[in-house]
Amino acid sequence: MTARGQDRLIDISLYSVMAVMLLFFYIPIFTLMAFSLQEGRYLTLPFEGISLKWYGELFNSGPALSALRNSTLIAFFATIVSTVIGTMAAIAVVRYRFRGKSAFQALAGAPLAFPQLLLGIVLLLWFSVLGRWLGFNTGVVTAIIGHIVYITPFVMVIVAVQVYSFDPQLEDAARDCGANTWEVYRYVTIPLLWPGIFSAAIFAFLLSWGNFYITYSLAGSTRTIPTFIFSGIAVGSSPLYPAMATVVFVPGLLLVTAAAALRRRSSRTA
Amino acid sequence: MEQTATRSWHDPGLLVKALPSVLLQTTCFIAPLLMTFILTFQRTRDFQLRWTWDLATWTDVFSKPHYWTILGHTLVMAAACVAICMVLAFPIAYGLATRFKRFENEIKILITFAFITDATLKTFGWVLFLDKKGAANFLLSGLGLPPESVAFLFTDWATLLGMVYNLLPFAIFTLYLSIDTIDRSLILAAYDAGASKWRAHWEVTLPLCKPGIWAGSVLIFLLGVGVFLEPKVLGGGVSPMSAELIRQTFETRVNWPLGAALTLVLMVVSVFVVLLFSRILNMKRAGFGT
Repeated sequence: MTARGQDRLIDISLYSVMAVMLLFFYIPIFTLMAFSLQEGRYLTLPFEGISLKWYGELFNSGPALSALRNSTLIAFFATIVSTVIGTMAAIAVVRYRFRGKSAFQALAGAPLAFPQLLLGIVLLLWFSVLGRWLGFNTGVVTAIIGHIVYITPFVMVIVAVQVYSFDPQLEDAARDCGANTWEVYRYVTIPLLWPGIFSAAIFAFLLSWGNFYITYSLAGSTRTIPTFIFSGIAVGSSPLYPAMATVVFVPGLLLVTAAAALRRRSSRTA
Repeated sequence: MEQTATRSWHDPGLLVKALPSVLLQTTCFIAPLLMTFILTFQRTRDFQLRWTWDLATWTDVFSKPHYWTILGHTLVMAAACVAICMVLAFPIAYGLATRFKRFENEIKILITFAFITDATLKTFGWVLFLDKKGAANFLLSGLGLPPESVAFLFTDWATLLGMVYNLLPFAIFTLYLSIDTIDRSLILAAYDAGASKWRAHWEVTLPLCKPGIWAGSVLIFLLGVGVFLEPKVLGGGVSPMSAELIRQTFETRVNWPLGAALTLVLMVVSVFVVLLFSRILNMKRAGFGT
């Protein structure tokens, strides 16, 4: 076989594997979207009819809406705090050399390779014991703390990639021109790191928004979208849950696309 | 990048940046782990924790084979998941890093989105797809196949499918990063020396992405031993895995010390397995030499 023919064959087989894999990734997502259109009460095929009825039910359902509100609230605070802490850790790791740096890296990144359910349980024990001493219960606040612990390492890794490709002489130049530390950050460092910080923040938001394991352990009686859906699966569900799932997909897809577009633009101008 | 001078911890700029992470992970990760360890020496009576400081929980853990059977099952499932993920992820990561230039960004967005979508929802989607009256059987009977030809929901196979599905993106990302950093000229050099495509792949590309394969395997293994959603929702809870057992110990039996001990056993055994494997791989390398 000629080299060119061989090349074509490799290309074709890799693209076919990719196509099959993408189909595999989207099977459950498409299935949920399809089932949200079922008119009848049960999640079985064939459908009794096609309608958007369950979307209407969704927006009239109190528990579903409060789950949506809780998810947003938790994701909002978890995103802000983990983005700030993770960004600072990324700068510390890439731009400074100091004693105990590898220990710092290991400590700051440890939750990455820790099963989420176990992290949730370990934190639940911690907050339960602390709560008994100090008199508080698990709820939204403990869930936010749990999310921050889990998500901050992700932010650190994503922002670190951006810090690597950043020339520290730009900061020195600004300092030579008389900028103070704060001004250097405000006008040089932050704007240049912004694409990385922005996509890390989006990643953080989505990780928190869709988190099941940690919320399940730490949110007490508060329900978020994933835990609400989980309880629904157990009870024997109606198309309300697929409808809710479909509503949740939309902002996720928009945010991921926005982050990718921003990244591409910044890499083109750089 | 220019080398920066070594700074000590007294540098205020460094302190401000590193301290929040250190505080966060010591108070909310290390301290809770220590707490878990301490709890294993206590007991619960009437749903209340008693500070007894004895070894009752540990003797219980080591005298009941039941816990260890479940642990063994968990390790086997996680190892199978690692093997399947690596085989499936390699062609994708390789294609993304070297050949899919035209659709690279679109493919990345599609994979990221599928990955970031909540695992509960996707697992639920699989139930709807694989169910007796689900989408798969509906589509297949439309093609003329006998009814209920897809009937492996609520078995270990369904659990494994869910695990591979949820963890595969981790394999793709780690392999992609390691293949992407391979110096292309090394492969060209192999061609110049007369190597075929296959031989260059086997003797240059594959050995160079060993670190990526190893990192991905460790990550997937550690995450795989902790799954709870897949065995419960897709496996129907018929053959529980360790995480499910731990969850039940806390929720149904309200036995905190036992739950804490089982958590630690799971963690220690998984890390031990990882260390054992890295030892074996190192020995192999030393023995045969390359």
